[in-house]
Amino acid sequence: MNGQISPWLAAARGPMLVAMLPAAACVVATLYLAGWAVMFSFTNLELTGLRSINWNWVGLDNYVRLFTREGFLNALWITTLFTLFSAIIGQSVFGFGLAIALRGARLGLRNVIEIAVMLGWLVPDIVAAFMWSNTVGTTGLINDLIVVPFGLKPINFINDYALPVVTIANIWKGTAWSYLLFSAALDSVSREVIEATRVDGASPAQTIRFVVLPMVRTHLVTNLLLVTIWTFGYFALIFALTGGGPGAQTEVLSILMVHQSFEVGKLGYGSAISIAMMLIVGVLAYGYLRQLKEPR
Amino acid sequence: MDRSFARSRLGALALAFVAAIWVSPFAWLVLSAVDPETNGQLRIPHAVGIGNFVLALSGQAGQQFLNSLYLAVGTATLTVLVASMAAYPLSRMRLPGQTTLLWGLVLLRMLPEAGTIVPTFFAAKQLHGLNMPGMIVAMTVLGMPFALLLLKNFFDTVPIELEEAAYLEGASIWQILRLVVVPLSRSGVAVVWFFTFTSAWNAFLLPFIFARTDTSFPMSVGLFTAFGEYGGISYGFLTAYSLIYSLPAVAVYFLLRRNLNTGFAGVGVKG
Repeated sequence: MNGQISPWLAAARGPMLVAMLPAAACVVATLYLAGWAVMFSFTNLELTGLRSINWNWVGLDNYVRLFTREGFLNALWITTLFTLFSAIIGQSVFGFGLAIALRGARLGLRNVIEIAVMLGWLVPDIVAAFMWSNTVGTTGLINDLIVVPFGLKPINFINDYALPVVTIANIWKGTAWSYLLFSAALDSVSREVIEATRVDGASPAQTIRFVVLPMVRTHLVTNLLLVTIWTFGYFALIFALTGGGPGAQTEVLSILMVHQSFEVGKLGYGSAISIAMMLIVGVLAYGYLRQLKEPR
Repeated sequence: MDRSFARSRLGALALAFVAAIWVSPFAWLVLSAVDPETNGQLRIPHAVGIGNFVLALSGQAGQQFLNSLYLAVGTATLTVLVASMAAYPLSRMRLPGQTTLLWGLVLLRMLPEAGTIVPTFFAAKQLHGLNMPGMIVAMTVLGMPFALLLLKNFFDTVPIELEEAAYLEGASIWQILRLVVVPLSRSGVAVVWFFTFTSAWNAFLLPFIFARTDTSFPMSVGLFTAFGEYGGISYGFLTAYSLIYSLPAVAVYFLLRRNLNTGFAGVGVKG
């Protein structure tokens, strides 16, 4: 358009502005809800009882509670471990490896593996939780095929290794996303470039490190950004698989937040937890987005 | 470099092994669902029948299936309608502060679901919206930033020249939209519909907080509570229910697979 407004757009401007109104209302509503969460976090609002109507401002009490009570700091630590191992390391590395390995694979093989990995991503969270609770159960697949044939006693994985189990289940569930994104990114790397590096004598590892990775850097950062943020606030799979237990071993921030808000009924304290989550996510997102904007 | 790996026999074998591990958790689900006498253990079925599936689609379970369908189709359709009406102008016009707006949407998209659930619940409660329409509206509102971004990026790839040509030929705004823009946008809109459908179909936290009675549960909440109530006894019912619940999201993916592969190119965050 070179800065000039085309006659078509000039004619359609009015109707277009009107058409944007419903979506604008949705965005404003989201902002409004986020604002409400901030407001709640400074009150002692509760789900039921007297304080659900006659609530008071309590200043920073809820935020002080985040650090003086055990729940929040423990949940923050669990969430960090879960995000680091299942999303940043597990899904991203595995998805990238798979995308590299499947480049140039026969179409049949590629389809079979894509579909297998995709199934994990497609099944609903609760079904995945149900399946995994059985797969790692005392009469499940892993015990039947691996543990018992070696003459060992069946292991109750959910009780003994709760955090590794939810981490692996989430890698299983989420790798497809990273794989698809990297796969699309690798398709944009031209075959000639890779051929040229090979002719120049680069090893496969060198090709990936010095040619492919820099070329798909934007996709890499975008993917890390998205999976980090999704995993940081992930709820359903862990909640349905372990309920946060045993004890508080898998109590991530989202589970703590729902537990405090809707089971204990302290909506004010729960809101303070969500605000803390949003702030952390905001800082993480800012870090990644700066990486995206920086030209290299 | 990579060509040799996937084409070698060892590489192909390793990759097939990965695929086998990936689908292995499904083995128990499928084997138990087709076995009317299952006791929850992993075993070859003694008999094969569809009794479990009939159970999982009748009565309250059937109602929950319909609830999920209303919720997912309603949310996806409403989202796509509202989002494309705004994403198209966003892609075509230069509004003041547009870049800020788009980055704002990116940030909104990143809010964790748990972050807004308390005020969402509270607002819905006060508006008497703790029901199906309330859920559809709430999920549409919360999913809007993502749908807007995806569709805006998609419309950016649709050339404006065709519309301008149609305008110069004397087509009206509605004719241009109906005859030029809509046909060209079908694949992008389908991708967004698919994403929204799947996420609404899979949604758990919001319906878990919103729906209060067994008959208003979508399947996610239905399966969760059923698992807690009689997880120890009716494995046949629960596994069949799980398969039925998984089917639509999987089916929609395969229907749209070709569109998806092109649509994924537009996922990147662009300012």
